[in-house]
Amino acid sequence: MGAPFDFTFVLDFFPKLASTLGVTLFIVAGSLLVGMIVGIVIALPRLYRIPVLSTCSKVYVSFFRGTPILIQLFLFYYGLPEILQLVQLDLSKAHVLVFVILTYGLHTGAFMSEIIRASVTAVDRGQVEAAYALGMKGHQAFILIVAPQALGVAVPVFANTVIALLKDTSLAFTIGVMEMTGKAQTLGSITQHFIEAYIALAVIYLCISITLQKLLQLAELRLLKHELPDSRDDRGSRDSGDTEDNTARKTFRIQKKRIYTRTAGSMRTEKGGAKL
Amino acid sequence: MKIDPSFIWLAFVQLLAVIPTTLMITAVSVTAGFVIGLAAAIVRIYNIPLLSQLASAYVTFIRGTPMLTHLLLIYFSLPVLVDAICAQFGWGFKSSSIPMIGFAFISFSITAGAYMSEVIRSGLLAVSRGQLEAAYSVGMTTPQGLRRIVFPQALAASLPNLSNSVIGMLHGSTLAFTVSVVDINAKAQIVAATNWKFFEAYLAAAAIFWGLTFLIEKLTALLEKRINLYNRGGVA
Amino acid sequence: MIKLTNISKSFGRNQVLKSINLTVEKGQVVVILGPSGSGKTTLLRCVNYLEKPNDGEIMIGDYSLKCKHAAKKDIHALREKSAMVFQQYNLFKHKTALENVMEGLVIVKKLPREEARARSVALLKKVGLAGKLDAYPSQLSGGQQQRVGIARALALEPEVILFDEPTSALDPELVGEVLAVIRKIAKEGITMIVVTHEMSFARDVANHAVFMDGGIIVEEGPPAELFNRPREERTRQFLKRITPELNYHI
Repeated sequence: MGAPFDFTFVLDFFPKLASTLGVTLFIVAGSLLVGMIVGIVIALPRLYRIPVLSTCSKVYVSFFRGTPILIQLFLFYYGLPEILQLVQLDLSKAHVLVFVILTYGLHTGAFMSEIIRASVTAVDRGQVEAAYALGMKGHQAFILIVAPQALGVAVPVFANTVIALLKDTSLAFTIGVMEMTGKAQTLGSITQHFIEAYIALAVIYLCISITLQKLLQLAELRLLKHELPDSRDDRGSRDSGDTEDNTARKTFRIQKKRIYTRTAGSMRTEKGGAKL
Repeated sequence: MKIDPSFIWLAFVQLLAVIPTTLMITAVSVTAGFVIGLAAAIVRIYNIPLLSQLASAYVTFIRGTPMLTHLLLIYFSLPVLVDAICAQFGWGFKSSSIPMIGFAFISFSITAGAYMSEVIRSGLLAVSRGQLEAAYSVGMTTPQGLRRIVFPQALAASLPNLSNSVIGMLHGSTLAFTVSVVDINAKAQIVAATNWKFFEAYLAAAAIFWGLTFLIEKLTALLEKRINLYNRGGVA
Repeated sequence: MIKLTNISKSFGRNQVLKSINLTVEKGQVVVILGPSGSGKTTLLRCVNYLEKPNDGEIMIGDYSLKCKHAAKKDIHALREKSAMVFQQYNLFKHKTALENVMEGLVIVKKLPREEARARSVALLKKVGLAGKLDAYPSQLSGGQQQRVGIARALALEPEVILFDEPTSALDPELVGEVLAVIRKIAKEGITMIVVTHEMSFARDVANHAVFMDGGIIVEEGPPAELFNRPREERTRQFLKRITPELNYHI
């Protein structure tokens, strides 16, 4: 299968693949934008418990989390033009990227709405009560008190969603988008050096993933400044015994927390979850 | 082109026949992934030199790259490796005799292993140290303590995440079509192309996946109820 | 009899136990007192080998272990001689009260299930929890959990039971029920080492009191003497801080 392995091809493929990086990132950015808007729209009825609409939101989220994104992609690519034809809208000339971004946007929206919902509910009820006690109005309490704290909770999970989205863009080639994976496939079949092409591809994805993660981690650190562990709370703790095992326990707990947030995030990037 | 509702049903019935293929891929990758993940998690928790770094690199690489690239890399490089090794040792085995679905099994297991190792690791770390100490204090050995005290609690703690991993692998199995395995997705493509009714076929496929996902979640909820009996008392 | 000889323990560069020597006679109830960070909990954990001493020798009953060259098998054998009651109870969360007590008997002592069950039920009755056999820890109050913890330790019939601040995680109104149970078993002649801050309990129940500070035993003796006529300045300071009502004795 193919020509013998030659490492120089890997190096050779980097710039060629990188030239299509723009398409990949464009899909990510476009889908995020659509997803953000959709997510807010979908989350609101559930946060405010609007009767019929909140059920619709549930079904929406369940569908997009309960079916593979690849199936969703095909469904929209083939189905949307047909459905829109019924209302005399011709989409057959639309650019294929429109379908990709729309599908991924709707898909990401489902996850976003869950993130928004979870992080808003994660903010302690007492915070809102304290805001009311200071004489704030409902929207003031939300914007000034709840939203900033919710954002801090949301960032790690959001980071995972963005990285999942990046990885999902690799499926766009199935409907003929020439993004990085598609380009790698083309390069592979032209030169017959498939392995080299896919190694180069994997390395680029890995680099972007890591960069995105680092960037979002920085954002998280800034937003969670108020929750950073402080040495003072150690001394304040109940004199539960000897300090030496307090420090051990403390490091352990911090480590645990970090891992927890990371996996709590990955939980949602797994595409799973039809739960209503 | 008109939407043909009756064809959705027709496609649905045809797709039912390949559900076992999809479930098989999911089951194999989840099972093998669990074993790989457990090994990687334990190596990392006990911080075994070299192995723990290797495990971290593996998890980072897999989680940082699309599942599709894992499949493609395995599909193209495994035969080369296998043939080279067989030639070296003079074995008669030819890579061409590996069935297509074998590539899906191997690649998806590797993918699942990385995700599961994180799930298992966080589950194990969620069990407080005191539990193992208590096991020691009643005279248990480390293996006894792990098996009887830590693992059951870790499993209960990571059940929701494990269920999500299973669903992730179920959805990921749709990639198998790239190596010509006929799963639900590939079958939908075939049914769609022969009748030129794409939308209907994929609608049927989506319905099946939705149903399967729902089923997994219901099963998890049942299991969680049984396994988490001990947490019903509220906070303590 | 328990004999600790030259027990030393460091965490990194921080030496927590500096060559401790302590002898506990059979049937004695020993309380260890001392400020936070004095090393008293670490010493107790060393006896159960939850912390590995860097050096020294631990002898419990007829079994003795040199800590420098302890093999896994030896540690296991030593652990069977003692049982621990933890500050945070550490009941097995996924097991009922009864199963918690039975676990060690069935798995470690290899008792037949029926016998283990009968013994565990009797012990839970003794600590006043006959009605809570099938309750999970999450369904019990702190005081009840700690009493299960005591029953679990008693079930193993160890040479010594180690109590690591058994009441300091409890709400004040629950302290009494746990202390009552410890008092009861102390009267039965079971050897106990108790790390505690409960001074009145220490005075009533213990036959020997040890004061630790800075990783060494500063002073030890009969409780009445240690409390009423401490010889060392450090002991006096500590007692003054912790029991202001004792001021007039000094």
